[in-house]
This record gives sequence, C-alpha cells and structure tokens, in this order.
Amino acid sequence: MIIYLKKFGTTLTSRQIGKEAFAAILPVIKTAEAHERIEIDFDGVVTFSPSWGDEFFRPLFEQFAGRVFLKASNNASVKATLAMLEKVYGKPLPQSPAK
Amino acid sequence: MKNTSFLSIADAAAFVGVSTQTLRRWDKSGVLKPDFLSPGGHRKYRQHMLETFSANARGIADQWVSSREPMPLEAKYHCENSGVFQVCLHRFEQELVEELKDENKAALIVAVAGEIGNNAFDHNFGNWPDVSGVFFAYDLKKCQVIIAERGQGILTTLKRVRPQLQTNEQALRTAFTEIVTGRAPEPRGNGLKFVRDVVTHNPLCLFFQSGDVQVEISPEKKDLLIIPAEKDIRGTHVVLEYK
Repeated sequence: MIIYLKKFGTTLTSRQIGKEAFAAILPVIKTAEAHERIEIDFDGVVTFSPSWGDEFFRPLFEQFAGRVFLKASNNASVKATLAMLEKVYGKPLPQSPAK
Repeated sequence: MKNTSFLSIADAAAFVGVSTQTLRRWDKSGVLKPDFLSPGGHRKYRQHMLETFSANARGIADQWVSSREPMPLEAKYHCENSGVFQVCLHRFEQELVEELKDENKAALIVAVAGEIGNNAFDHNFGNWPDVSGVFFAYDLKKCQVIIAERGQGILTTLKRVRPQLQTNEQALRTAFTEIVTGRAPEPRGNGLKFVRDVVTHNPLCLFFQSGDVQVEISPEKKDLLIIPAEKDIRGTHVVLEYK
C-alpha cells in the first residue's frame, strides 16, 4: 500500500492537521493485508515540517512497526524534517529500497 | 507628491486606528514620536509619516506585542485561529515558490514559519491572555516574514514542565536546545530545534524575542547569544529574513 501525502495538501506543517490525517488514513491502512508494506510517498508535497510529521509518523510507526517505509524525496523540507524526527526518535527511519 | 498635512493627536489616532492614550504612550516609549509640538504643546503628526508607519508590518507587530492593552489589528495581519493561519501560510507558500523559482528554498522558509506560527497556537490554545491568534505578514520584496503573538510566553509555558526555569533567557535557551514541551506528557517539543537547525544551515536570519530577551540566529550566528531586549513584550515577536 502506498500513502500519497499530497492527498492531505501541499503545506503539511500543523500538528492538528497531522493528527487528523493519521485518524483519516488509519481505517484505510487497516484494510491492508497483515504483512503488507506501507510506503509513504512525499511527491507533490511542497512544505513538510516536524509538527505534522510527528503527529502522523509517531502513531504510524508504533501501530505498524516493521511495515512502514519512507520513499526517497528530494524536497529540502522533507529531508530536514525526517532528519529532525530521527534525532527525536533516536533511530533512523526505515527507507524504501531505491529502485 | 507627499502629503504634508499635519494631524492632531485625535486625527492621528483615528488614522492609525488606536486611541489617543496609545499614541501618548508610544510617544513616551519612542515607538511613534510626533513630528513636532505646537507652541501650545500639542502633538502634531505628518500624515505621510503615519502612512509609512502604518505600512511597516514589522513596526505594527512590534506595537501590537509591546502595548499593554491590545490595539486593534487589521484583519489582513490577524490569524485569529489555526485554520486561518494555515490558509495564510499556504498562500505564502504559493507566492514564495512563484517569486523565488526555487521550491526547496521556499519549502524551508515556509516550514520554519509554519513551526513558529503553529507553536503559538499549540501552546496558547484556550489560554490566550487577551487576544487569541497570531500576527502574520510577509513581504516578498523585503524578503521578510513576521510572526508575533500576545500569548503566555515561552517561560510560562515551559515552567509547567521545568519549574526550575526562572527567566526568559533560560526558557528561550531551553526551547531552542532541548527536546522539551510545555504540553507534556504529549510527546512534542522539537519545533524550535528544527527552526534553529534549518536557519543555521541556510541563508536565513531569525530574530526571536520572547518577553524581555531576544536572540539572533543565522549561519554566522550559530551560538545562542541571548541578550536583553529594548523592551518587554507579550508573547513572542519573530522576524525571519531570507536572501
């Protein structure tokens, strides 16, 4: 399953909206097969910041541990945000294998 | 041609949209001095100076956060709630991408502005002392973003989880250097660390005032040199400049 974050908007900075985004996508993820990979695609997102990212990724990684992978992105705010979240979580975030 | 008519303090107050008491206070504090005093000692203001003053978003934000009583704020600057701020931030993102022709640079600037503005809502929701919301303005020609709020301030917020904090200087340093949040036990508290990280690694300059202290951060000013501000303010006042 691929989750396209651009479906939540191009400016993803608010905690409230990040939390709401996770609540909205959770029922969809639950329809996936038990061991299906969940890939996160950042294409089309313009601005991404840790507040939105933390509210979305923290429960996602907790509830679907080992199944969530992040697709590579060249967006500078995505890179900076993921680097910050790795510091906060104290571990690297799982990346999708490069094609 | 410049309008050189002179206004009385009552007319000047109406022009700027504040009370005459506020203009007298601004005179004393140096925020806005009259152009001259009449022989009878009455304050007189040049209209074109007031126009310049009113057009200066940074000056307006400064007055707004430093005045004891909240002054009226034009709707174009006032994001009363988080939803309005998201709309304004998105519009800023679109205009900045168009202006800079550089999506990555725009993304980092908007991310920093977003973290600062959203932080204000997160930490003051339900607890705004007088006026809710943030002042938000940007100037694509001056390459400047201004965010200000009359919230509780960082010290009050962080003291809930770090009771040992005593000063605005300690609180500001903590906010920029430690993963700590005034909304514990919620796992938060990375916003200003992210802001500092982005600003020190990109051609950006951040002026951040909280209460009676301020700090300037840029790639050349990585150390958090927190110094006393000229005056005490409510909440925070932030100016982000980009090159």
